[in-house]
This record gives sequence, structure tokens and C-alpha cells, in this order.
Amino acid sequence: MVSPHGVQLATHLISSFYGDLCSKVCECLLRRGTLTLAQIIRFTELSRENVINCLRVLIHQNCVQAFAIQQEGAFGEAPRIITQYMALFDNMIHKMRAPKFMQIVSEELGKDCLGIFQGLIQHGRLSINQIIDRNEQTAGSADVHVVRESFNRLLIARFIERCPAPEPFLAPPADGETPAKKRGAKSAKIGEERQTTEQRALAAAAPMDSMRFLMEMDDPSEEKSEECTNSVTVGEKRKQDVLKSDEDALDADKKKEVLWRVNFEELVRRLRHKACVSYVKMRINDEAAIVLSAMLELSRHSETRQKAENSAYLSINAIYDEVIKKEGGLGMDFERIRASLEQLGCQCLETGVDENYSIDIKGIIESAQTEEVESVVLRRYGREAYRIFRLLSKAGRFLESDKISDTTFVEKKDTIKILYKLWKDDYLHMEKVMTSGAKQSLFLLWRVNKEPLREHVLDEMYHAALNLRLRIAHEQDKGKEILQLPREKLVGELEKRYKLLGKVRVILESSLMNLDEAIMLFHDF
Amino acid sequence: MAFRGRGRGRGGFGGGGFRPAKQEPLELFPEIEGLGTAEYSTAQIELIKWSSGLHKYCNSSPYYYEDRSERPEKVDKPDIERYSDRNLHSGKVRPPLWHFIKLDADHVPTELARGEKKQKLVKRVRWNPESDLQKLDLFEKLEQKHQGQEGTEKKENEEEEEDGGNEEDEGEFSDEGDYEQAEYCDDDEDDFNMADDNNDEPFY
Repeated sequence: MVSPHGVQLATHLISSFYGDLCSKVCECLLRRGTLTLAQIIRFTELSRENVINCLRVLIHQNCVQAFAIQQEGAFGEAPRIITQYMALFDNMIHKMRAPKFMQIVSEELGKDCLGIFQGLIQHGRLSINQIIDRNEQTAGSADVHVVRESFNRLLIARFIERCPAPEPFLAPPADGETPAKKRGAKSAKIGEERQTTEQRALAAAAPMDSMRFLMEMDDPSEEKSEECTNSVTVGEKRKQDVLKSDEDALDADKKKEVLWRVNFEELVRRLRHKACVSYVKMRINDEAAIVLSAMLELSRHSETRQKAENSAYLSINAIYDEVIKKEGGLGMDFERIRASLEQLGCQCLETGVDENYSIDIKGIIESAQTEEVESVVLRRYGREAYRIFRLLSKAGRFLESDKISDTTFVEKKDTIKILYKLWKDDYLHMEKVMTSGAKQSLFLLWRVNKEPLREHVLDEMYHAALNLRLRIAHEQDKGKEILQLPREKLVGELEKRYKLLGKVRVILESSLMNLDEAIMLFHDF
Repeated sequence: MAFRGRGRGRGGFGGGGFRPAKQEPLELFPEIEGLGTAEYSTAQIELIKWSSGLHKYCNSSPYYYEDRSERPEKVDKPDIERYSDRNLHSGKVRPPLWHFIKLDADHVPTELARGEKKQKLVKRVRWNPESDLQKLDLFEKLEQKHQGQEGTEKKENEEEEEDGGNEEDEGEFSDEGDYEQAEYCDDDEDDFNMADDNNDEPFY
């Protein structure tokens, strides 16, 4: 389930992009979970036409996924198939960081690809013909080959992918357990099943791995050039005739126009790597950062999961080749690379002659998260609280108040005060232990629970991001009159206010971008 | 915005206690002590410009869904039209949804799909909301010189708009001249189109 402020932030984002009606539907789905069309109409109290159009927009913009499920009939009725809709929270929040994705594409692939990518961000889903059409109107050039080439480059880099199926059918669970009939079921068991249903729906909707980044063979004249591209695009090795037979088998969908969308997974992965490298650069040194970025780039293609824990095992030679290609890495030799690998805490696997190293990405992310939380504690509660929190966080187990006070050299009274404050704000977990026997005394045990703490901090960040967005909207609103004036009229006092508005906007938006990095650190990385 | 009115009700509550409730003025963003000052840096100004451009596009696109029944058929102009009212009703002309979203059963769930009979081919989908306005500007100028151009403009109107209740679009086409002129005076368009503008200049 999504945290409360996360829901509010997502709703606000949808409202600012797609209007209040869409945001009502979103909020309903986020708060109440997966629903059918009739239920959405009932809960949002909107007209049927409005709900249908909102769902069309939201599905098109990748914020909602539909799936068909079999529902047991009541009292002797035959089971019927109903369509349910689930909210895609992550994709909603991604709307906020679209400029960062655009920056990645722009830096890596250039302006032409950025144009296509921007279209996909704006429209959510587009077919290749729509992309060509749009490019004609926005970029002014009617050269189809340039567009197709840029499109292929985006495909090869895996920044775009095929859209998922609009309504996959989920077969009833094999063990014969019937899914919940009523939405209002409160038992945890049903909650667990619902979780699995949504995951199953996403898995069923996703295009096959082999098809996901495969360019469609729609035009016979294009086939020749595309065959060459296909052998590069497809991740696995295939023979040409196998490819053809696959396409023939999909003849049925040939008539169906393929829609393409932004591949958030790959973009988030890039941001994740960027964050790791900058963290290491700050924590250790530049050289380690260069080695790390080389390793992450090499193992990028073998990362199948969203949040890969370890990179693939890479040989020292491969690492060396990649490192010298990077700027600043030219002067590095094997010894220095080995030293950096040591500093990074890489696991070495020696198989005969080869030395293979793998990096623990998850460990880096967790250290970054811990540091972030500790800095928040330092800022909010002071240095002593910071020491206490660090002690508990490193210990990873229960510590008693007196022991904490002794280890951190803080007065007992202050320790208790600080501990209570942290506990009240959900940063610590407390347990009371009463010893019975000759001497009855109450011991207070304190501990940092990583997982609930992470969620709590994430919720606070969503809250902060929401406040920032509200403030930006408020400032825009306040300066409405000035913004509508043509430039010539902005002189003297008005010009000063105008410039001030600009500065305020830049400060607030930059803060939001920085906060967003922290949000990603806790949620997506 | 949905949240703006939220705090209003909080002002005078609290009655039923020992003292009467004190009416405090509502402060939407109260001052917080010890917050420090934020630094102004233009490191991310390109991102901010992109973000602003995306927002603007979305607000003028059909994806910003509004209730058709709530929109008045005829826009009532107030008696004394203020300068800030000029842009109020003119920005509402949006292309229909199905210009951009494929509503057949292959791409959307069956219960949301639209019937085949309404899927006429669209002659020209407006991907770039400004490109049409530029063409209109040209027409406006030609119209002033040659009266005959009015016929071409009307033909364009009818060609573009299909069924689906687009009468208000035709009616408002003449208003777009006003809108488009004001837009051109506005400085937000500059930053959307020209990337080499002065960094200080805004991107509203």
C-alpha cells in the first residue's frame, strides 16, 4: 500500500497534469485499491462518461493498468469475466521527474532522439506513424529515415519499449482458492492475495522479453534495413529464419498497430547508477568513482531486475579496458584499480587465471540511505541526538537507555529526553522490559528498525515534495497578474517583482529536484 | 487547485472547551523559525524549463480532461472586460481525445473502447498547438488584404472538425485570433521555442 502522503502527492501531480476529474479517479484507485468500472463510478460519484474518459487518458498515460479476471458467479450463476483497474503509483510519481529522464536522453543520444522522447513523455503512448507525423509538425522536417533512425537508437539504448497489453486475462489461481468477491474484505490473507493479483496482472501485461525492444516489421520496404537492426536490437542471439518464423506466428497482431512508451525501468537504472557513483565520489575518492562507473556500465545489460543487488562478475581486464576509456581514468593501471576495488568493498572471485569482481550495489544504496537519515536527525534534533541515533543504527539491536548514555557521553536525563522525542516521531522503536523478582525495575530498550524507518522517512519526503509543489502553485497564482503582462510593460517596480518571481520559482523547483533525488534513493533505487 | 481551500475551515474551530474559541487569521504558509535561506543557482534551469514546457503542453492538450457538460456552450463575457480576462476563456479549445488516443479494442480494454463507426480518419492531428496558430496568423493578415480568403478559412474549419460536438470550436475560431495575438505578446512562448534566450529570462 502506498503511504498517505504518497497518495496525496500522486493525486496532486495528476491534477496538475490531467485535471481534477482524472485526479479524483486516481485518488479513488490509490486509496481503495484495484476496482472495477462500476465501483469507480460509485465511489467517485462522477458520471459514467467522465470516468470512462478519465480512464482512457490515464491508461494512455501509463498511470493505470487494466486486467480481466474471472469472478465466481453467485448462487449458481456461471462465472463471469470482469475488468479491473489498478493504479500504477510509480509511474505517476515519474511524471515529476520527466525532465531528468529527458536530460539523460539528451546527453546520451542528442537532439533528434530527444524530440521523439519528448513526444512520448507528453503523449504517453505513440505508434511509429504518429511519431513520424508529429515530428513533421514539430521539427519541420519530413525525413522519415532520420526519424526511424533516431527511433532505433532509442530502442537500442532501451529507453523506449512496447506498451503492455491493454487487458490481459488472469486465469484463476491453480490451487483452486477463489479470489475475494467483495472489495471490502479486511482480512490480511485476502490482502496478500490482492497483492499477488496486481503483480500477476503486471507480469501478464508486460510484453515478452524477446519482443519488448523489437522493432515491428510493418513495411516490406523497410524490412531489409530493419533486419540488420533487429540482429542488434534483440538481446538474445537469434538466427534470421527463426526471427521470420516468429514474426509469422505473430501474424495475427500484425494488423494491430504497436504502441511505444518510455521505458522507466532503464531510465531509473541510469539514475541509480549515477547516484551510486556520486555517492562513492563523495565518500571515497574520484578514482573509486571512475572504477565504479566503469563496472556499472559494463554490467548494465545483464541487470534483469529492477533493483539489482549485485553487479555481474567482471574480469579485471574488462574493467581496465572500460576505465581507461573514461575521462580521468587514462592514467590508471591495474594496481590502482585493484586498490579502488578494495576500497569499494568488491567481492573477488578468482577462477584460475581470472580475477572477477562484483560490486554490492545494494550496500552502497543502503549506506547512502543511512547517511541521509542521519543528516536529517542531525539537522532536526541536534548533534547529541545524531550521536545516539548513529549508535543505535550501527548496533542494529536493542540497547538500554543507560548503556546508550554511557557510550555516547550524553547526560542521562538528556538521553531519555532525546530518545523519547525520536520515538514519538517514529524514528525509534521502544520496548519496556519489567524485571520481576527481588528488585523490580523497568528497563527501556531502544532500537532502529530499518524497514519501517525507511518507509516513514519516505512518507515525510512525499509530504515535503507535496508542500513544495503547493507552494510553487501558490506563488504562480499570486503573480498571475504580472505574468500575463507583455514584456514591454514590465518596467521599474513590476520588473523587480517579475524577476523576484522568477528567482523564487527557480529556487523552489531546484529544491524539488534535489528532494526528488532523495525520494528516488528511498523508493526506486 | 484541490488543496487550496483545505485550511479555510480550520480557522475558528475548537469551541466546546473551557475558553471560547479564538478566531485566528488563516496563514497558508506560516513562517518557520530556523529554516535557513535557500541558495539560488541556475544549475538546473534547463530541467526547470523542460518541466514548465511539459506542464504547459499538458494543460492545453486533450489529456487535461474537463467535464464537457460543465463547460458553457456560449462563453459569457463580463460587462467590463479586464485585461486578465482576455486569456481566460480562449485557452479552452482542445482537440478531441480520439485524435491522439487509439480507442479501438486492440489498445484499450473492451468496456472503454469506442465503436468502429466513429473512427474516421483525421485529416490533420494537431501535434503542435502553436503550428496552427501561426497559420491562422497568416490567414488573418491575408484576410485583411483580400476578402476572398475568408472562404478558405471556413473550409479549414469544417475539414478539421469532425462529429463529437465540436460546434464550440468553430464558434470560437474567431476568438483564437485574439488569443493568438495575446500569446505572441506573452513572453512564455519565447522560452519554449528559443533555447538560446537569456538565462535570467523566465520560463513561465
